[in-house]
Amino acid sequence: MRKLAPPRFLLHLLKAFCKPEYHADIEGDLLEIYERREAEMGRVRANLRLFKDVIFLFRPGIIRSASLQPLTSHDMISNYLKMGWRSLWKNKLYSTLNVTGLTFGIVCFLLIGLYVYDELTFDNHHLQGDRIYRVVSHESSTNNGLTVVAGAGFMLAEESRHAIPEVEMTTRMQRTGRANLVDPENPVNVQETVTIADEHFLQMFDFPFLEGDRATALNEPNSIVITEDLAKRIFGRADVLNKNLQFSYMRNPVKITGILKNHPPNSSFNFTSVLSESTQYNESWFKEGTQNDWASTSFTVYTLLKPQANPDTVARKMTRLVLGHAALEPGYTLMCSLQLLKDIHLFSEGIVDGGRNSNVDSIPQGNPLYITIYSFTAIFVLLIAGVNYTNLTTARASSRIKEIGVRKTIGAVRGNLIRQFLVESLITIVLSFLIAVMLVNLLIPAFSDFVNKQFSLFSGASLRFWAVAVVLIVFIGIVSGGYAALLLSRFNPVALLKGLKIGNAGDLSIRKVLVVFQFTLSTVMIIGTLVLPLQVRFLNNTNLGFDKSLMLVIDVNVGRARSNFEWIKSEMAKVPAVQHVSVTSRVPGEWKTIRRVKAKRAGGAGEPQVAYVIGADKDFLSTYNIQLLEGRNFQNESDSSSIIINETAAKMLGISTDYNQVIEIPVIARNSYFVPLYDDVDASFKPHVVGIVKDFHFQSLREKIQPLFIAYNNNPIQVIDYYSVKISSHNITGTLATLKAIMVANDEREPFEYHFLDDQLALFYIEDQRSQTILSWVAIASVFIACLGLFGLATYAAEQRLKEIGMRKVLGANVLSLLILLSKDFLKLVCVASCIAFPIGWWGASRWLEEYAYHIKVSWWIFALAGLTAIGIALLTVSYQAIKTALVSPIKILKSE
Amino acid sequence: MKKIQLGEFEEVVLLTVGVLHGNAYGVTIKYEIEKRLGREVTIGALQVTLRRLESKGFLKSKQGDSTDSRRGRPKLFFEITAYGKKALDYSKETRDELWNALPSLVLKLK
Repeated sequence: MRKLAPPRFLLHLLKAFCKPEYHADIEGDLLEIYERREAEMGRVRANLRLFKDVIFLFRPGIIRSASLQPLTSHDMISNYLKMGWRSLWKNKLYSTLNVTGLTFGIVCFLLIGLYVYDELTFDNHHLQGDRIYRVVSHESSTNNGLTVVAGAGFMLAEESRHAIPEVEMTTRMQRTGRANLVDPENPVNVQETVTIADEHFLQMFDFPFLEGDRATALNEPNSIVITEDLAKRIFGRADVLNKNLQFSYMRNPVKITGILKNHPPNSSFNFTSVLSESTQYNESWFKEGTQNDWASTSFTVYTLLKPQANPDTVARKMTRLVLGHAALEPGYTLMCSLQLLKDIHLFSEGIVDGGRNSNVDSIPQGNPLYITIYSFTAIFVLLIAGVNYTNLTTARASSRIKEIGVRKTIGAVRGNLIRQFLVESLITIVLSFLIAVMLVNLLIPAFSDFVNKQFSLFSGASLRFWAVAVVLIVFIGIVSGGYAALLLSRFNPVALLKGLKIGNAGDLSIRKVLVVFQFTLSTVMIIGTLVLPLQVRFLNNTNLGFDKSLMLVIDVNVGRARSNFEWIKSEMAKVPAVQHVSVTSRVPGEWKTIRRVKAKRAGGAGEPQVAYVIGADKDFLSTYNIQLLEGRNFQNESDSSSIIINETAAKMLGISTDYNQVIEIPVIARNSYFVPLYDDVDASFKPHVVGIVKDFHFQSLREKIQPLFIAYNNNPIQVIDYYSVKISSHNITGTLATLKAIMVANDEREPFEYHFLDDQLALFYIEDQRSQTILSWVAIASVFIACLGLFGLATYAAEQRLKEIGMRKVLGANVLSLLILLSKDFLKLVCVASCIAFPIGWWGASRWLEEYAYHIKVSWWIFALAGLTAIGIALLTVSYQAIKTALVSPIKILKSE
Repeated sequence: MKKIQLGEFEEVVLLTVGVLHGNAYGVTIKYEIEKRLGREVTIGALQVTLRRLESKGFLKSKQGDSTDSRRGRPKLFFEITAYGKKALDYSKETRDELWNALPSLVLKLK
């Protein structure tokens, strides 16, 4: 009888899903029927019918239940746990190495992760946040070039909500300057930024209210909403609804109509009070200034789009709206774009913060470069830790060969072994995770302080962070444990029990690759930790061209401090500790905006070019110890139309020694675009150059030195705003008190706001300093983790080669040659790692240094030092084991065989 | 008496096992039903029903020999238990009762 078998896959399929106790006879029935059918209707149709039968058998009652695998019971799991724990306990050294490494990795990861998470979730508190956009204006003109400003005109906000159907709501905000805000009943001067917003502001954003009505708080004129913090500062308590406040520049008091909770630390909004815009509606200057204001950037405009509205389309419509109404000068073009609220913090590079007076600080911004660097470092450290684990576990595979062999012989299938190893690695990881969380909990106050944020380990907002962190860590754990599990469970039990080594070249090389990988990352980080502090030190120690030490900068906050400056100066000069006093409009190393103008030589050809202006008196050069190269300093009031320029400006204007050149300054920058200086468009300020000073870094070292004009304190461009007082280091607090007394004697409302210039300059680089510290710690951690791994591997390698070393010793090898023998494999790996790390480190360091106009050179010794450090640390780690092994007496090793 | 209630197909299978007396296993039951009732029976439906009847105690099974065409797979012979018999009786009784209760008028309707 011919035997034609049905398709085997169908029978396999049946076997796969059918209950085992039913399987045999059902398959018999199928086969019997198949044979009959095959005889009746041919093979193809019999196959089809069989297929149909098998498919119809796939039904409840026939399908085996999923939990029917016999050995995965509760008992088995508890057995895995017990065995895992025992094996960890038995190899205390390796377990400690593993747990320590992982803990370090997780601590670094969590801390950096918290920081990155915080930066990435900026401005996430607003319910409609994914529909709120900030209007950004792109202006360009033939003589201004392109400027991008986060600001727009009054009318754009007013009209776009009617004219553009996709716009649900718009709101305007303006920061018009700084003024004293006092409680009229108990005047204590508190200098605050004046923020003004319209009545939609509180509807669009969900600033949580402690008291007051969100819907009406900003409707009435002379209403103000303040934060809890400000209320406490002014009144000493927070329940101050309906009380009055007085801004120093306003005639009428304002009524508090709402108390806001303080802004969370990750908010781009940092106002302490918001005044209702309607307060100004009746002012004639406001009406005139706004009714045709289409194209200015005097307002920060936010817009809430309808769901599913396309921001690009809306931006195009806005542009059309503006262009349709604004009377732009020829040569000007203007374009609007919309920026998502959540992008404001990190993706505002190149966008000038608009809608504010120049004496208001722009909103703080994050640096996406650092966020990227941090994220990568965090993941790298976790990877290094994971790799470490894999490495140690696989390396120790052969010492567990017997165990695996016996288990397999007794009846463990591969799945059991895999599960057992996974449980073991999960125990390790959970243990490390718990220790890490405890450590992070201890470190968090210091860390928060250090990065100037507020973190809490467990708060509702960070649930997502924890979810992601736990998933990532478990994932790394399973991957790193999983490789070992797969590898260890693969071997044939007979081979294992016969005592064969796992002489598998494949995973040996994988292990080598992993070590190289670890040390490459570590070396890159070492390079980073060398370059960063060098640059930061360079930034702080570079001779800026002026004297910044013990320079006290006092803000001019009241009108009388400005008008009466001669008296104040003379009083201050009488104080013995005061060496020099000067009044200026801005100071070198200024943190607020330095005025810009456009200027050219009178009668000279060509377009006017941009220069910065500082107004200063005749003591400015001596106070700051700025070197005068040519000409003379200011002398007296008759110098009000003289200027002193820096070398760069001299070069720009083509002035060398023939001073007394007249300069024309026709336009001045307001926010970010240039307007005529005088009401008469054709008029210019025409000072003559009396001196040239040596270039000095009046801005951060990220910028190249720009052309600078030092105008006399009495100039039409900018009034004085600061007293710079050079004091002696003796009894600084006493000096401060004396100076304050002078200022207060001048005007009793004086809040006496002061800074030390060198502290202020250091703020330019605070982010870099922070990164330097973070990176150093991460580098130390990663090198440490990599060393733990190397130590483990070296220990293991030494154990494996004990017999060989015994033989070598018997045959006459000396300790040194054994040392070299044991260390050289690892050193080779570390050398390879260094070679890979150098170009990566060089590339990264150069990229970062490009951020600075003035920076250090990345010289070869940095790499040499990094490489030597890595090799040195590796050598130390390995040689401990090597020496220990090399010194063991051969008798001990060899006697047992 | 809910427990011994039989579904229609269950009743058919149970009766067929009885009809085949001693030679009732998957294949024969399938062909017997198809022959007598003229409807197609899938193995899936049949097997599920057989197992269910067995688990309810209406049938009992024992492994028999194999044939060449089954390639060593045993036949599983089914046999009605006393309880199964009772279930059939109950089923028939209830039907009869219903039949008897039916007014003769209804049956004349065409």
